[in-house]
Amino acid sequence: MKVLKKTLLLAAIGGSLLATTASAEQVNLTWQMWTGSDADTKGWQHLADMVTTKYPDIKVTLTTTGWVDYWTRLPVLAASGQLADIVSMQSLRMPNFVSLLEPLNERIAADKFDVGAFTPSIIGGMSVDKQLYGLPYDVGPWVIYYNQDALEAAGVPLPKPGWTLAEFTDAAKKLTKDGKYGFGITPTNYSVLAAAWGDKYVNDAGELDLTNPSAVAAADRVIGFAAKDKVAPLVPSSADAGTVIQGRFYSGNVAMYIDGPWSIIGMKDKVKFKIGSTSLPRGDGELTAVTAGSGFGIATTSKNKDAAWKAIQVLTSPEALQYLAEQGRALPARTASQPSWYKVAAKDITNGGEAIDYSLAHSVPYVITNNWAAVENLFNQYFPPAFGGSADAKQTMESIQSLAQQ
Amino acid sequence: MSQSAVAEIPLQPGQPRRFLMPETQTAMLFLLPSFLGFMIFMALPILASLALSFTNWQLISTPSFVGFQNYIKLFTVDPAFYTILRNTLFFAVEYLALNIAVSLTLAVWISSLKRGKAIFRVIFFLPTFTPTIAASVVWLLIFTPDGLADAVIRALGLGLPNFLLNPTWAMQAIILVTLWANVGYNVVMFNAALDLVPKHYLEAATIDGANAWQQFWRIRLPLISPTVFFATVMTAITSLQVFDEIFAMTRGGPGSATATLGFAIYQKGFTNFQMGYASALAWVMFVMIMALTILQFHMQRKWVHYDD
Repeated sequence: MKVLKKTLLLAAIGGSLLATTASAEQVNLTWQMWTGSDADTKGWQHLADMVTTKYPDIKVTLTTTGWVDYWTRLPVLAASGQLADIVSMQSLRMPNFVSLLEPLNERIAADKFDVGAFTPSIIGGMSVDKQLYGLPYDVGPWVIYYNQDALEAAGVPLPKPGWTLAEFTDAAKKLTKDGKYGFGITPTNYSVLAAAWGDKYVNDAGELDLTNPSAVAAADRVIGFAAKDKVAPLVPSSADAGTVIQGRFYSGNVAMYIDGPWSIIGMKDKVKFKIGSTSLPRGDGELTAVTAGSGFGIATTSKNKDAAWKAIQVLTSPEALQYLAEQGRALPARTASQPSWYKVAAKDITNGGEAIDYSLAHSVPYVITNNWAAVENLFNQYFPPAFGGSADAKQTMESIQSLAQQ
Repeated sequence: MSQSAVAEIPLQPGQPRRFLMPETQTAMLFLLPSFLGFMIFMALPILASLALSFTNWQLISTPSFVGFQNYIKLFTVDPAFYTILRNTLFFAVEYLALNIAVSLTLAVWISSLKRGKAIFRVIFFLPTFTPTIAASVVWLLIFTPDGLADAVIRALGLGLPNFLLNPTWAMQAIILVTLWANVGYNVVMFNAALDLVPKHYLEAATIDGANAWQQFWRIRLPLISPTVFFATVMTAITSLQVFDEIFAMTRGGPGSATATLGFAIYQKGFTNFQMGYASALAWVMFVMIMALTILQFHMQRKWVHYDD
C-alpha cells in the first residue's frame, strides 16, 4: 500500500510539474517597427517589455528600421514569408498593405474591446471597408512649427491657430531675410496643404485628379512659396526632402515648417531657440486639417495570432500610451491619454496644445489613392523644378497625373 | 611514353572507369562552392525575373500570368519609358567617352612622370575605395541649392543654374560624380598597360624623329588597345547599370531628367510594387547591354591589335 501511495504521490508531483511546464510555455513574438532615434528605440523596447510584464509567457522581440527603409523592407519581408507577428502600420499606407494584416473586428467583438476610447479619425485610418486591421497608438494633425525667437525678432505677432493663408504668407515674407527663409516646404506638403485649403486632388470615385482647376490652383500656391514669393528654400529632388527641411529648421535656417506631433520627441533637444506651434494656414473657408497616425496589426502569416492580439492590446493600452505621451513620442490615439501629452510633450511649445486641439476639431480624413507611395515619389521628382521656376503648376500636375496612372 | 601507349593500358576488371582526370576532379571540387553560389544567387534569380516579367506580381499578392502585357505596356503605353531609355543611353555614351578620354589622359601623364607615379595612382584610385552611396551623399550636399557648388559657380561668375534643380544640368552632375568615383580603375589599368610597352619601340621612333603625339597615336595606343577594349566594354556595361549616384542624389529628378533604367527598375519594383513590370524593364536592360557588348566585340576587329 505504501508503495502504491508513494507511486501515486510521485505521479501527482510529476503530473503537476508537467502541467506547470505546459502553462508556462513561452510564446516568442516578433515585432517590426520603424525608429527615428535611440530614444525612440528605447521607448519601443519599453513597450515590448510591458507585454512580458503583463503576460510573462509572451516575449516580444523588437526589430527596428528607419522610416523610409521600413516601407521598402515590408513588402520584401512579406514576399519572402518573413513578416513579423506584429506589423506596425501607418494609416496612410494601410490601403497598400491591408492584405498582410489580420482583420480584427471579430476579436474586438469577442473581447468587448473598447474602440470608442480612441479618436474616431484614427480608427477610420486603421480601417478598410469598416474592418479594423490595427490598433492605433497615435494620431496627429499636421501643424506648423515655428522658431519663436525669429518671429519675435522680425516683429511678427505669434500666430494663433486658425490663421489665414494671407497672414501666413505675410509672416513668411517678413521672416525671409539675411539668407534665411520664412518657410521650409517639401513636395509632399502639397496634399496636406491642398486639403487644408479645401482643394480636391482626388475625385469622388477615389481616383487621382491632379489636373482639375482646384488641384492646380493649390499647386500654384504651393509652388509660389518658392518660385514667386521666394520665401522658401529650393529643395533638390533627392532622397528625403522632409529631413532636409527639418534640419534647416533645427539649424535656424528656416523659421516655419510643417510637421506632426510625432516629431516633437527629437525636436526640443536639437534646437537652440523657443519653439511655437500653430495650425496650418486656412484658405477662404474653415481649416480642414488632415490627420494621420499609426498602429499595430497582426500578420496573416503569424503562427501566434492569439498571443499577438494580447500583445497589441498591451502596446496600445492606456499605460503604454501614457508612457509614449510622457516621452513626447506621440499624441496618444486614446482620447483619455491625450492630456498627458499636452502636459508633458507640448508644454515647452508655445500654443502646442492649442494648435493640435484646433486642428483636431477641424480635422477631415486624409484622402489618398491606393498607389499613394508612387504619387508621393512623383511629387518629390516633379515639384523641385517647379520650385526653381522651370515649370508651372499646370505642367507639373499634368506630368504627375499622367505618370501616376502607369 | 607515347599517347597511344597510355591508351593501351587495359583497365583491370572491377576498377572504376575514371570519368575525369584527378586534377579536373580537384578543380571541380574547389569550384563547387562558387558554382552553387552562382546557381542559387545568380542563375535562379535571373530565371525567376524572366518568369516574373510575364506576371503582374505586386510583391504582397500572388502573381498572375499576363503574357507580354508588361512588354507591350513598356513600349506602347508608358510615357516615361522612352525618356528613361534616352537618359540611359545619353549617360552611357557621355560617361563612357569621358571616362576613357580622362583615364587615358591621366594614365599617359602619370606614365610620363619621372617621380611620384605611385602617389598619383593612389590619389586617382582612392575614390574607388569609397562606397558610392556615401560619396554621392557628400556630393548631394555639395550640389544642393545654396551649397558649395552654387557658391563656387557664383564666385567664378559662370552664371550656371543649380545642377540638381535644372533638368539639363542634373545629368551632368551625375556624370561628374560617377566619373570622380570610378575613373581610378581605368587609370590604374591603362597605366599598367603603358608601362608594358617595350621601350625600344619608343626609342626607335624617337630616332626616326617621331614626336610625342605620334609616338602615342602610332605606337602606344595600338599596343595597349586590348586593354582599352576591355576597359571600354566593362565601363559601358557598368554605365548602363548606373544606380547608386542617381538614388542618392536625384531620385530620378528633377522631373524625370535623371531617371535611368537601373533607377526605374528599383522605383517600379520597390516603391511602386510593380515587380512584374520592373522585371520586364530589367530584361530590356539586359538585352541592351548584351547588344552593345556584341557590337563592341564586332567593332574591335577594326581597332584592337593583338600580339598573336
